Amino acid sequence: MTSHSLGTNIRSTTRMAACTWFPSLGCVAAVGMLIASGCGSPAKYVETGSPQSVVSVGDVDMQDILKASSGMLESLIETGILKTANSKPAQLVIDQVVNDTSSQFDVGELLYRMREQLVNSGQATVITTFGVNAEDKTAQEQLRAQAFRQGNAVDGMPSPDFSLSGKITQVKRQAGNTQQTTYTFRLTLTNIRSGVEAWTKTVDMTKQGTKNSVGF
Amino acid sequence: MKQVLRCLSREAGATHALTATLLVSTLFAGCGSVNTTYTRTTPSATAVPTKTQVNDALTQIFLSAGEVRMFPSKGGPLEVQVDVINNGFSYRGFSYRFDWVDGNGSVIPSQLSVWKTSNVPSGGSTTIRAIAPTEAATDFRLQVRRADE
Repeated sequence: MTSHSLGTNIRSTTRMAACTWFPSLGCVAAVGMLIASGCGSPAKYVETGSPQSVVSVGDVDMQDILKASSGMLESLIETGILKTANSKPAQLVIDQVVNDTSSQFDVGELLYRMREQLVNSGQATVITTFGVNAEDKTAQEQLRAQAFRQGNAVDGMPSPDFSLSGKITQVKRQAGNTQQTTYTFRLTLTNIRSGVEAWTKTVDMTKQGTKNSVGF
Repeated sequence: MKQVLRCLSREAGATHALTATLLVSTLFAGCGSVNTTYTRTTPSATAVPTKTQVNDALTQIFLSAGEVRMFPSKGGPLEVQVDVINNGFSYRGFSYRFDWVDGNGSVIPSQLSVWKTSNVPSGGSTTIRAIAPTEAATDFRLQVRRADE
């Protein structure tokens, strides 16, 4: 190991000496590459959604999802709509939330954060075995079979209070080199028993710039 | 010749005075400062006293917290509203985060405590607000950071 290091050192010294006495294009390029490699920033951990995050002009970033999720939760809690449910805590079923933007991300990033807060704080429960888009088909089948065996095919199935659905859209504009994108997150809570919209919320996010950057 | 020189120096003096006036008026006009009209002259009933630890003097000079109000929201948990005033001469962006604490002073971890951004025009103010995650929250902490420009 020691001899290998020594050998490397010797080779470097020889090459540097060659550079000193016979400056060539290769040597200049090597020195340039060394300088350039020293200028790059090494990888590091940053807090998710912190002001050190990357900001993209034409994409939805993680901090945008966190902000949207926080805004939605604040509105849900502020209005107290979940407290009006028949079940205590309120029973929710997650319906479709469509990502209608050119930015590729999983809407689960938004929904799971909301679910985590509501379920873990005891403000709501999420039913994953309801409807044709049930998240857990195995558990749904099991419940159906059990209800059929007991002869109460209707009463044995879960009966949620609210259904959550939504859409994420974008409006893009450009002036010269400056791009501007507004992302709109909208969610709606529908009372499943009455079919009436019980709560709705829109969170907008506008980003402007000529290129992506680090920090906001 | 002396008369010509005197005339020229008078003209130069006038030009300098005009330039200085323009510069001063540009500086103090605030380039798009907003004017605010309001009727309330006393603190609101829900205003609460606050304490600020200043680590960034520039933020403190240009951005300052006005009235801070805290009251129960319709749903039960507390709502806080903070007026942020821009005393500078340009549009300012900033990031902020509310953390909620319970009666024992422990921070309540939640998905609601995230960094958010806001802008406030020169000479104007904006109100940032937050809702507590649960009714166990009795107080809050607000962190404000200048936006990278």
